[in-house]
Amino acid sequence: MNILKLLADLAAVDSDSFERISGRRVVLASLGQNGRRAVAAAVPLALSGVLTKAYGRRSSTVLDAFSLALTLEYLESDFYTQALASGLVFPGTTKTVIQAIAKHEQDHVTFLQRTLRESSVEVPQKPKFDFTGSKNATQPALFADVFSNFSTFLKVAQLLEDTGVRAYKGQVENLMTDNDLLEAALRIHAVEARHAAHIRGMRRALGANVRYWVSPLDEDITTAPTAPVYADENAVKQAIVTTTDIILFPLDTATGVVTTTKEKAEQSIREAFDEPMTETVARRIASLFIYA
Amino acid sequence: MSKIINSSGEEADFTKPLYVPIKRRSFFMYAGATAGATALLLSGCNDDDDAGVTPEGTVNVGSGSVGVLNYAYALEQLEAGFYTALRDGTYYKGLMAGSAEKQILDDLYYHEVIHREFFKAALTRDAASAMIRSDLQPNFDGIDFNARVTAAGSAKLGVLNAAKAFEDLGVAAYNGAGRFIATDTAGLNYLVAAGKIVSVEARHAALIRDLVSEGSFVDSDVVRIGTDGLEISKTPAEVVATANLFLKEGSKLNVSGLV
Repeated sequence: MNILKLLADLAAVDSDSFERISGRRVVLASLGQNGRRAVAAAVPLALSGVLTKAYGRRSSTVLDAFSLALTLEYLESDFYTQALASGLVFPGTTKTVIQAIAKHEQDHVTFLQRTLRESSVEVPQKPKFDFTGSKNATQPALFADVFSNFSTFLKVAQLLEDTGVRAYKGQVENLMTDNDLLEAALRIHAVEARHAAHIRGMRRALGANVRYWVSPLDEDITTAPTAPVYADENAVKQAIVTTTDIILFPLDTATGVVTTTKEKAEQSIREAFDEPMTETVARRIASLFIYA
Repeated sequence: MSKIINSSGEEADFTKPLYVPIKRRSFFMYAGATAGATALLLSGCNDDDDAGVTPEGTVNVGSGSVGVLNYAYALEQLEAGFYTALRDGTYYKGLMAGSAEKQILDDLYYHEVIHREFFKAALTRDAASAMIRSDLQPNFDGIDFNARVTAAGSAKLGVLNAAKAFEDLGVAAYNGAGRFIATDTAGLNYLVAAGKIVSVEARHAALIRDLVSEGSFVDSDVVRIGTDGLEISKTPAEVVATANLFLKEGSKLNVSGLV
């Protein structure tokens, strides 16, 4: 969403109300599907009709992005909390590390809840999670031994952290209209990437064929339901896009981007960029572990 | 010249300019009015190899989306330059072929060179006249390329400590720079591209920190714990205060346009 376009739309619809609200971040930030109700409650009746008219053209916004983020942070936070409370044996010093990661995820939940609350948006409730993927024993499990086998636990952790990285990245379009929330999301995003790298390192230490970044050489730990976690992640070409033109990097005519074997260069290019994920895909992955 | 990737085993091409024979699109075709005015200003006074060099001898990245691209390009030049120098140093050369650390340092080198070339390609395509120079001169006098980690009492950084400094700085820089990108279509694409890169930098940072000290990947100097769990973010001014320590006179960055 382009905030300037939005303001232009709004000014066109009702220049008087535009002037009254354009400086108020709480209004601008409250334009999500849930948020529109909050806006309607917060402003005079006549004005809310104007807002619906102007803002109603857009389907998702800053706070929708934060709502998705909260769902994913609930997921990660609950995952580590359940693991730490389970009988899972954490070898060596790994429990300390998992506790630190769990604390970050709890911090993220608290931060996102507070942001949504302060923006007068209904805070989504924490769903119920079943990390075996059996939806509370109503279907066959995807990860039956997630809290009894450390290796499985780490696999699920990697899938969730890498999903988090991709999902935050997929929301920048919705976030870019609010610099403070964009920056907050970027800062959480980087923490998820650090977690992902460390979890991958833990798996590597146990003998898994995996790197600290998403690589085409990584052993495949997905099945059909979890395949979207890495779908379209290993692009060998990066598009540099504008409204009028698209070029692909590396350029077909370029030479010397990386001087090594062709195989190694292609591998490195795939590794050097983490790809975004849409909200739909992120929610589909999260839903594997949600049963109520 | 039709290959995407040079498949030779030689290592000589990194300092050569990337040949980019694409048509230059007018920045004004898609940039917002403010960014367009900026480009006009920049292209009006810088349209040759001295682009971006101010009278004070610093390299001015400019402002708006192009300013952020230049800023990112400068930092990626610095990082790629560091790993290039590292691979020329005694510590790296003493690593066993196929050792884990050698593979890691090679991978980081390739990733950073790719990031550098990506920004160069984007700038060449979108804002060639406002692009900063491609040959920023690093000053790595403060790094001991013979030492894995900083030796006790040494004023020079070991290579892993230097890598940690660069990677952490890079992530904090991207975190703090998103706000300067314009909210137009081009800006969105730059933001997505930066997002694709910053998480890889964060993965690097975590890995290098763990190599320096296992388990330090999210120490409290980079991630706040117990409050909001946010990674640190630095303003461009804060970032270049550090980055300029590793750049020679004439290559030091000026980010006065990113405020």
